[in-house]
Amino acid sequence: MNLIFIPIVLPIIAALALLLMCEKTKYLKELLAIGTSAVALLAAANIFLLPVQAVSYAWLGTGITFTLRADNLSAFLLLAVSLFSLAISVYSFSNPNKGPAKWFFFNLLMTQGFAAGAALADNLLAMLFFWEGLLVFLYTFIALSQTTYAAKRTAMKAFLINGVTDLCLLAGITITAYIAGTMSMSEIAQNKLTLDYGWSMFAYVLLLIGAVSKAGAFPFHTWIPDAATDSSAAFMAYVPAAIDKLLGIYFLARASIYLFTLNGTMQLVLMTLGAVTILVAVMMAFVQKDYKRLLSYHAVSQTGYMILGIGTLNPIGIAGGLFHMINHATYKSCLFMTAGSVERQTGSSDLSKLGGLWSAMPVTVLCFVIAAAAISGIAPLNGFFSKELVYKGTLDTGYTIFFLAAELGSFLTLASFLKLGHAVFFGERPENLKETKEAPFSMLLPMLTLAGICVAFGFGARLPTNWFISPALAGMNIPHPLLSGFHPDKLYFVSVIVILAAVANHMIGLAIGGGKPSKSSDHIHYAPVLKETYAMAERRVFDLYEVLMDRAVPAVSLALFKADRFFDWAIDAAPSRLSGFFGGTSRRFHNGSYPLYMALTLACAAVYILLAGGLK
Amino acid sequence: MDKGLLAYLLIPLLSAVIIPFAARNRPKLADILANVTLLAGLANLAWLALRPSIIRGEFADIPGDGFSLLLVAAVYLVALCVTFFSAWFIEEGLPNRSAYYSLILVSVSAMCGVVTTTDFFTLYVFIEVLAVTSFALITTDESGAGLEGALKYFFLTFPASALIIIGIAVMLMSLGSLSFESLRFFMASDLPAGPVTFGAALMLLGFIIKAGVVPFHTWAPDAYQGAYAPVSAHLAGIVTKVSGVYAIIKMATLLRFFDGRAQALSEMLMFLGLLSIAVGALAALKQTNLKRMLAFSSISQVGYIVLAAGLGTPLAIMGAIFHLINHATFKTVLFLNSASVEKSAGTTDMDKLGGLEHTMPWTSWTSIVALLSTAGVPPLSGFWSKLIIILALWEAGLKGYAVLALLFSIVTLAYFMMMQKKVFFGKKTPAAESSPEVCAPLLAPVVLMSGLIVALGLLFPYFYVYVKMVAERILL
Repeated sequence: MNLIFIPIVLPIIAALALLLMCEKTKYLKELLAIGTSAVALLAAANIFLLPVQAVSYAWLGTGITFTLRADNLSAFLLLAVSLFSLAISVYSFSNPNKGPAKWFFFNLLMTQGFAAGAALADNLLAMLFFWEGLLVFLYTFIALSQTTYAAKRTAMKAFLINGVTDLCLLAGITITAYIAGTMSMSEIAQNKLTLDYGWSMFAYVLLLIGAVSKAGAFPFHTWIPDAATDSSAAFMAYVPAAIDKLLGIYFLARASIYLFTLNGTMQLVLMTLGAVTILVAVMMAFVQKDYKRLLSYHAVSQTGYMILGIGTLNPIGIAGGLFHMINHATYKSCLFMTAGSVERQTGSSDLSKLGGLWSAMPVTVLCFVIAAAAISGIAPLNGFFSKELVYKGTLDTGYTIFFLAAELGSFLTLASFLKLGHAVFFGERPENLKETKEAPFSMLLPMLTLAGICVAFGFGARLPTNWFISPALAGMNIPHPLLSGFHPDKLYFVSVIVILAAVANHMIGLAIGGGKPSKSSDHIHYAPVLKETYAMAERRVFDLYEVLMDRAVPAVSLALFKADRFFDWAIDAAPSRLSGFFGGTSRRFHNGSYPLYMALTLACAAVYILLAGGLK
Repeated sequence: MDKGLLAYLLIPLLSAVIIPFAARNRPKLADILANVTLLAGLANLAWLALRPSIIRGEFADIPGDGFSLLLVAAVYLVALCVTFFSAWFIEEGLPNRSAYYSLILVSVSAMCGVVTTTDFFTLYVFIEVLAVTSFALITTDESGAGLEGALKYFFLTFPASALIIIGIAVMLMSLGSLSFESLRFFMASDLPAGPVTFGAALMLLGFIIKAGVVPFHTWAPDAYQGAYAPVSAHLAGIVTKVSGVYAIIKMATLLRFFDGRAQALSEMLMFLGLLSIAVGALAALKQTNLKRMLAFSSISQVGYIVLAAGLGTPLAIMGAIFHLINHATFKTVLFLNSASVEKSAGTTDMDKLGGLEHTMPWTSWTSIVALLSTAGVPPLSGFWSKLIIILALWEAGLKGYAVLALLFSIVTLAYFMMMQKKVFFGKKTPAAESSPEVCAPLLAPVVLMSGLIVALGLLFPYFYVYVKMVAERILL
């Protein structure tokens, strides 16, 4: 078997094998999942190091081949997917909050296999196959993580939102393939499509919707915060934080850079989408009172940076977007893991009930601080460098407003993490948490690894840019300048100013909130105009899905019900009543009266003879 | 007269003459003689038509036009089922047991005469013989209902005889000959039709009345309902089909409906066919008596054959012949089953019956096979014939007819499902409590026929080849 199949097929086989295992076996399922992920990671690393390779099989005929192609970008993505799968497998080894182990690892491995397939597929239809497959496991992942009704509801919400946007993607791929005359991405890339006429513009917008929805951008993000409270931290660390971001941004880059040549208008659309996503989500994140929910809004917000970076359409910005993608997956996974271990050790993720855990959970705190600093863009961690690139790319386009929006997002990010860190790990420890212990080693190891990557990609930012990002850009034929290197230029000073402003904001918040870190965002939460806006957001007025479900769906289903009743009447009730009427009439007519029968026979015979005789 | 098939006419007649003398002191001998006669004829027919060499040669060596042979086979088959059934059905003390068998055998030989003759006058004679024997058969058990049905049958079909003889007279005057061939040659020529088609139209009307096509169907429900139980199966299964429907198909081919001669007649025939389908099916929906419902169902199914015959294209004629045979199979099963129910539960009132599937599983299952075939459910034989008829209508551009024929086939399924539910499914009623399954000999004919329904459906390609050969020969 070709090496390229191992990251796809092996997890799927292992997942199916898991289903055969007895529920009572201890550690066997966990070890199988970890072993599978480890082998898949090795295979992915091997694929990454080998030159570009491809396999192709005839599939559905007429240009639809099953083509897998591990070019630089795909191999990089595959490596990331496999790495996070391994990290989450190890992390979940002794985490009881993940739901039934069998189903958790089944979903995890299935997601891994399908994500690897989506990353490697070169044929658009093959990619769509894997992409849609992920949707199924997204649903089961959430629905099986808890036994509550809320979990099922959120799973359905995630399924419907992603299902609709996947349909957009399907339509977009169909139109793209029709316009281009081929389904192979590498063939389309040799002769890129332009947005000069309506259909190709439409196709691109549909692809864009599919990609950014997968990445969890505004306005398709609303299931993520719900999933944060209704499913497990391990799921959040794996799917919304890592896999979805990786695939969504990967395909956004593919579509925007590789398949299409965008124009200025679309550049503005993308950048606006990015900036709006950053601001809306971070504003929501800032006021959250739940550990995982706060993180989940940041997972949305950070997507904005990646979209903004790719939307700049210049090499620096794209490099920044891709770099931010891998960085984000690293630190956000790490942050969700810290949330998971805090939840496991204390039984809560409510900020007002936590506090002062730094002495009880020193390793968790260390990982949290590193990851939080990274997400806030503090030099010299990895988040700083990728944000620098995004900022630089944004400034190069000349639209300073997006730069300012991104910096504002950065400010609020840091402010909210100051609040979060303060509320959970510092300050006073509540009475009931006196006995709290550090999380087990199997949870700390992946956290530490990811935190280590954050540091390594920061101090050694040259490594990822030279190994991953530059080849990926080169693979998409984008000429680019030297990306790495620390520049103490004006951008650095701006970031220092942002840090100082955030710290000052936190101080003010603490002072107003009466020293309680969980209330340190209240001065913004209850500011004049924002208060009402937040209240509306809490009532989900801005949640397109909920609005549709509340307003449109009942009306539409009532209308459909009426239509169904009408059809029922038209094809069932009315004909049976009609035939019943005629049947009854005819039954009453056949009363056995001989004169009546004879008269009928003779009369009809007379009419027949007249007609046959030429009377017409 | 087709000389090759003359023996099939004469041997039953001979048996019919022998039976009253031979069975004077030993009544059982009448059963045996009748059954042996018919079985021997059927075996002979099977040898004639179903030899492997004949099948391999796509039936090219069949004597005559093949149509007669097919119908003779159907006549023998249904009659054998009926006589075999009767042998165990008739009560011991019935006085005119040998007369009953003699009459059945005479009617068999009259039917053979009808289907083998080649001129109109002989046809008329045999049809009259058939009418008289049927009249006598209906009154076998001398009940009031039987007598009423027999009288209605006789009087209401009496105009048919008059019309046929007038038609023959008109034709003899205008055409100068009464043979089928001369009419065929006349219609193929360019001569103006005039009185010849009028004479044909009168004869056709006679056959329409004999076939029980709406609005001349009024005798059928009373006759079928009132007749002695096995006789209903004989009448509905084959007698009226041969005396009426066969003659209509024959006329349709002779009048060359397919190349547009006698257009008015063709259209009228099709209209009457559709009317039959509709009225029969709708009236059947609301019946409470099982036998009466089956009678209306028979009227409805005759409508399909008449509709196809009126269209007259080769495909339609094939459909008509095939449906004629299928009708003989499934209607015989249903009527014999109704006789079994009557014998076992003592009534055929569907409101009093119910839950018989537990005590009479064989009767229930054979009913299901037959009714599904009637309604045209694949892969049973009724499906293919209806499919061919509807395809022929569609192909001829008569889409309205095709759609209506299809819709009423749904109504067919509806009333049969209601029948099955009322009689066999559901809770046991008091009448059903003490009704055991009838004995094996009574089940044998229906099981045989049900097997035939399935076999004809599954072996449709062979049967199709045969019917295609028939249609090609009679439309030459």
